[in-house]
Amino acid sequence: MQLAGQQSNRLIGSTDRLKLIGLLLLAALLLAAIGYQASISGRDASLVMSVFATRFLGIFVEAAPFLLLGSITSGLIETFVKSDDIMRILPRNRLGAALGGAFLGLVFPVCECGVVPVARRLFSKGTPVSLGVAFLLAAPFMNPIVFASTFIAFGFGPVFIGRIIVTILVAVIVGVVLGSFAKPAAALKPIALGGGHDDHAHCEGETPSTRARLLDALGIAADEFFEMGRFLIFGSILAALMQTLIAQESLLALGTGPVFSVLFMQILAYVLSVCSTVDSFLALAFVNSFTTGAIVSFLSFGPMVDIKSTLMFTGVFRRRIVLYLILLPFVMNLLAGALINLMLGYA
Amino acid sequence: MTAARHEYEAQIDRIDWAKSLILFGMGVYLTLLMLTGNLDNYINLRFAWLVVVGALLFFLLGLVNLHSCLRPQAKAHSHQHYQISWDIILVLAFPLLLAILIPSRALGVEAVNGGVSLSPVGVSSVTRSPLDRNILDWLREFDRAATPAQFNGSPVDVIGFVYREPLHPDDGFMIARFTLSCCVADAFPIGMPVMAAGEYEAGEWLRVQGQLKAMAFGAEFLPVVLAEAVERVDEPRQPYLYP
Repeated sequence: MQLAGQQSNRLIGSTDRLKLIGLLLLAALLLAAIGYQASISGRDASLVMSVFATRFLGIFVEAAPFLLLGSITSGLIETFVKSDDIMRILPRNRLGAALGGAFLGLVFPVCECGVVPVARRLFSKGTPVSLGVAFLLAAPFMNPIVFASTFIAFGFGPVFIGRIIVTILVAVIVGVVLGSFAKPAAALKPIALGGGHDDHAHCEGETPSTRARLLDALGIAADEFFEMGRFLIFGSILAALMQTLIAQESLLALGTGPVFSVLFMQILAYVLSVCSTVDSFLALAFVNSFTTGAIVSFLSFGPMVDIKSTLMFTGVFRRRIVLYLILLPFVMNLLAGALINLMLGYA
Repeated sequence: MTAARHEYEAQIDRIDWAKSLILFGMGVYLTLLMLTGNLDNYINLRFAWLVVVGALLFFLLGLVNLHSCLRPQAKAHSHQHYQISWDIILVLAFPLLLAILIPSRALGVEAVNGGVSLSPVGVSSVTRSPLDRNILDWLREFDRAATPAQFNGSPVDVIGFVYREPLHPDDGFMIARFTLSCCVADAFPIGMPVMAAGEYEAGEWLRVQGQLKAMAFGAEFLPVVLAEAVERVDEPRQPYLYP
């Protein structure tokens, strides 16, 4: 009962009220920014607002179905899939394991939010570090749903192909490197080393009916949609605001340097924390003003590491490993993006 | 049961109802977009099927959520994965609020940021006869051509909105459209220059008929439409051109 009281306090407590006030302040800032833009450009504020609304809702309408598909897949995996079955068929030597891990997303279609719990479950079953890390970094992109959204946004072109190559390369290399230098006990927190929670269908010892599990899966999917939807909405607001308020020339100034543009987009990807199922649609907003290498790095780095996955990493890995997990992909994606720009002839 | 626990469960209950409301609301919103044709304002209609899928999934999740609201014993088993709080509900309500409060409009002249491009978007080998070409088709033809003069005398019949820049000559403006590959996130304004006597305001939708002639326009030498007939028209049902 004590616990329930604390939870109740948490639900309606002061942090929540602070968050609500913060949200209202953000909304006020949004209106102020739009009003300011209208006044300096001599346009009607309602017109600027309507341009913003159209741009925002366009991204949201196109992205929402993918976020729903991702959430439902995540719910289904949570309730129906046993990680043992997959573990049995995967290679155990370091490079093989890392490669296997990089492609595991094709059968375990999870986005970056679903990937950490699944990776943790894999580790607790004794998975090699290289496999787990490669899976963690690659799976949010290397899965059918994200292939589909990337294809719809960019078609089969340099961005799509670049995203695949860079993702696999970075994931495998980081997997092999961390796998060589860190034994599981040194890399993982005790909680992820086994003895942790098993799969979902467990609590009363009996297996619930398929119908009950399906309902459970869809319930989890709805929660996942709400939890991830807010990152999509914040990201879309920022992208739409940027397109509406910032002059194209200023964006071009940021977006044309072959290295700086990549750096800028990677930091943006980290901050935005948008789900990998929908980040392609956000990246579209930058296509007209940023280098192709920057777009590719945004799309390959974002799903690997961002604010929310960093938080989740700290629940699985020891602190030093978390640092490597952020820095190695950051540097490698930066190099890859700059190289792509060089090859495509951005001076 | 203590009062605190009652209060806790009542909170969860209210949040569950709010979740159902938002899920159904989004399903209804997507459905209305399709029924009213306003979907044209947001995405390339090639991907309209995605919105159908989205609406169906929203209704499905909404129903499941409603089911657990109405039958609390069904919830007893389900694991609380995350506890969704009110601030998340508020954030998720934002798209719906925007959709309700602000009338749906396609991007127009006020959305042009950094000028209208004279270069085409995407590639296509389809060649239409001159009078069937839209602004995008014409820019593609210009892009392929050896010299701007090769179009002299070609008849033109295009629809677009008026876009003006200080550099344009007195009777000149550009007739422009937004292109859309995927959704408005990649909307890109393109246009062709027009010489036409008469007062036309920026943003007005016009149908311009005339002939092409290579000449200087602003700082460039390029094919310009010499208008013979200019007609004010309504914004087309499909406001964007799809590359």
